[in-house]
Amino acid sequence: MKAASFFFLIIGALFFLSTPAFSLEDSQEQLTKIQSIRADFTQEKHLKILARPIVSTGTFTFQAPQSLRWEYRTPIPSILLMHGGKVKKFTRQDKKLVEDRGMGLDAMQVVLTEISNWLDGRFTDNEMFRVSFPDQHTVLLTPKDQALAGLISSITLELALQKGLLESVTIFEGPGSYTAMKFTNRTLNQEIPTTLFTTP
Amino acid sequence: MKPCLFCLPVILFFLMACAAEKPIRLPDLVTTQNQKEKQVCGQSFPVGKWQFVHSIVFTMQNGGGSTVIGVTTLTGPEIMSALITVEGLTLFEAIYHQDNNFEIQRAVPPFDNPGFAQGLMSDVRAIFQPPAGSKVQVGHLTDETPACRYTAADGKVTDILDADDCLQIKSYTPDLILARSIIGRSCRKQGSLLLPEHLVLNTFGPNGYTLKMTLISADELQGSLQ
Repeated sequence: MKAASFFFLIIGALFFLSTPAFSLEDSQEQLTKIQSIRADFTQEKHLKILARPIVSTGTFTFQAPQSLRWEYRTPIPSILLMHGGKVKKFTRQDKKLVEDRGMGLDAMQVVLTEISNWLDGRFTDNEMFRVSFPDQHTVLLTPKDQALAGLISSITLELALQKGLLESVTIFEGPGSYTAMKFTNRTLNQEIPTTLFTTP
Repeated sequence: MKPCLFCLPVILFFLMACAAEKPIRLPDLVTTQNQKEKQVCGQSFPVGKWQFVHSIVFTMQNGGGSTVIGVTTLTGPEIMSALITVEGLTLFEAIYHQDNNFEIQRAVPPFDNPGFAQGLMSDVRAIFQPPAGSKVQVGHLTDETPACRYTAADGKVTDILDADDCLQIKSYTPDLILARSIIGRSCRKQGSLLLPEHLVLNTFGPNGYTLKMTLISADELQGSLQ
């Protein structure tokens, strides 16, 4: 399930493009002011065989430098926690949260490095993706790594009319197969207790 | 002959181990014409086009496992099946045809294992399609559990049971040893279909595994898919 872990963190890393500080024209100084981010998200999974998309909801919380809580509430409660170099994932089974084991969670550390790069304004210096700008409101990411390209064909970021905000993120796997994410209720730089990143 | 201080515990250990591994044999069926028992045959499997989405917790015998989302679409002659992570990554996608052939659309390791698609097809068919078998008997087990028994040409037997007002499916080898059990809980009626909210699928043997499934959605499909 290492591939699943990697995909998970791709989604998490992309969130940082949705902060008000992200913009094609923003200076490095503005980007480095982010200390914490919290937002709600809605995720839709589309597949050709699905009569209607699978809708998931949850919250995303990040505290600089490398603390993360990525929590799904529906349809399957699941929490990914990263703090102090440790990564753990919990999923609801039989009405209790059970820690997932053997997931290759060590691979997730790679994406935390990507997150740090983006917070330092080094978006185009991306080890994972080739970046292009088809138009003024769209960022297109295509994987550099062959292994990742086998999972994801491309990622499209749609920028909102308001400068610096992200409208949506769509991760394409192949024809008719994609995951679309929207972030709402963003809160920046609020104090977040450490226990949120250590306790499921 | 020297007394063997270790013999008795060792013997007891192996006797206990053998008892634990004792295979479950096909129970006797008392055939009847009881109307309620006849219903077991008709209400256990969906008819027409349906789509089911389940959360699936799978556990291997070594204790490893994970949780995924399973999608099963029944279109009549074909079954389309997909496994997706909670985060939206498609791990596996395949189309199963009526002649037992299948096309794999996508398979991410370790789901690209050659036997995985075949095994998944067996499990999906066991849950969602009536078993093969030209010989169908209706009745009850010796504990009065209503049962519908299918016997296939190769000798495999499948019992569909109405236990605790929910569905159970038990499949036996031609030697009449239990190979797979599917136990439903918290059944509800959707039309004429008895729909379990929870399913536990167990396969037995050295490579046995357990799937715990919770229903997320069940939709009867009217037109074409998206």
